[in-house]
Amino acid sequence: MMTTENELKKIDDKIKVLRNTAEELKGLAENIPTITRNTSRLLASVQMMELNISDCIDFDI
Amino acid sequence: MTDQQNYWNPVLETLPLEKLEKLQLNKFSRIFQWAYNNSKFHRSLYDKARITPDDIQSLEDIRHVPKVEKSMMRDIQKKDPFPYGDALCVPLEEVTEYRQTSGTTGQPVYQPDTWQDWEWWAECWAYLLWAQGYRPADRVFIPFGYNVFVAFWAGHYGAEKIGCEVVPGGVLDTKARILKIQELHATALMGTPTYILGMADTARNQMGIDPAELTINKITCAGEPGAGIPSTKKRIETAWNAKVYDHAGATEIGAWSYECSHQPGGMHVNEAFFLVEIEDIDTGEIITGPGKRGKMIITALDRMAQPCVRFDSKDIIEWASEPCSCGRTFRVIKGGVVGRADDITKVKGVLLAPSAIEEVVRSINGLGDEYEVIVENAGDAEKITLKVELMPDSTDRRKSIESKLTDQLRLKTNLRYDIIFNDYGTLERYEVKAKRFKDMRKK
Repeated sequence: MMTTENELKKIDDKIKVLRNTAEELKGLAENIPTITRNTSRLLASVQMMELNISDCIDFDI
Repeated sequence: MTDQQNYWNPVLETLPLEKLEKLQLNKFSRIFQWAYNNSKFHRSLYDKARITPDDIQSLEDIRHVPKVEKSMMRDIQKKDPFPYGDALCVPLEEVTEYRQTSGTTGQPVYQPDTWQDWEWWAECWAYLLWAQGYRPADRVFIPFGYNVFVAFWAGHYGAEKIGCEVVPGGVLDTKARILKIQELHATALMGTPTYILGMADTARNQMGIDPAELTINKITCAGEPGAGIPSTKKRIETAWNAKVYDHAGATEIGAWSYECSHQPGGMHVNEAFFLVEIEDIDTGEIITGPGKRGKMIITALDRMAQPCVRFDSKDIIEWASEPCSCGRTFRVIKGGVVGRADDITKVKGVLLAPSAIEEVVRSINGLGDEYEVIVENAGDAEKITLKVELMPDSTDRRKSIESKLTDQLRLKTNLRYDIIFNDYGTLERYEVKAKRFKDMRKK
């Protein structure tokens, strides 16, 4: 099933929310290693979604 | 998830060529800018060539970016920060992974990766395993001693990423690994073609177990060109009664190519994550069309800690003329990696690729899987000796096998060989990176 441009945009919007949330969380918990390290890992996963979807939106592919 | 989902990422894997090229250009510009800004080594290289990120406006412009050779990476390592040197683009404390090259062609190259890079490695493997039919229900057995080399760490993480159950067969010996496959009903295997063939041999001849009757239905081979050599692929598929898929990757590059379940006679390049250029060995021109071999210059478009930008891999490849029936728009390299620029050698004035000899030996019934080629000086001339093993049940066919072997070698390589028949089981067996081609002329 093909994914429409509109659907991709919605996915990308949610990926951006995830990144913002994870970065905000990391900032809030600077003194709590379990949160900072786990958000670092989370951000690496977010990055993979960006490579797979967001790049297409950001580069207007 | 269902099996109706043929692609790991249907968006990128089916992009039309012009969109794929636009994506590659944008991503190349991004990684080039990153390396330019964060790696002293890269900045110095590009400053000397008087090229800046602003100069990259088209795919053609990329050809002016200087290539990086493995020898340069070895020199970089002599600089700070220890042990990686000044191509490192992130603070040392962000490095979570250490790997190194095998050192087959010299001093090993150290490879740092961040956790993000490691996720990327697993992502690349997820693309290839999904294309080869791996699904969450698979139980993947990895009969490989994990250590400082990247094989098969990333395969392990990639299989986990797509939801497979992974059984690490690391320190077990071959017999214990076979018993574990039998005990757990494993469905898939990863390994070097040499070792996977050797496992089948051990199962059959030392344990009385027919590997074809085990539950393995697919095997991913890497580390050597064997799974791309039709006769070797056929031997492994017959031995295990399983589909065999080729894959090529490298420590400094990543998992850049894979054969899909349609087995198109070559491997797809993951062109959303890598930019592959093929350079004519004689002229240095970039070969854009099918039908001509050259060496691969590759860029990993998203690898950050130690970027891989226009790396001269020395792998010999050529573009296939037809798209794959699987529907992926990622182009196919015909026959996979067919050799290495530093492996292909001139003997008696003729270019010889060792993989051509393997293709012949393993296409002949009655010969074992192992062989050895020795090239040496004999007075003013050069002599090639080929050692092969005769299977115990074929000793009475020796003359006809020798005749067929001689004819096929002459046909496929244009060279004459002194053939020595060894008893079965007497040639050296390898687990990784087999060294069957011995050029004694250089000593």
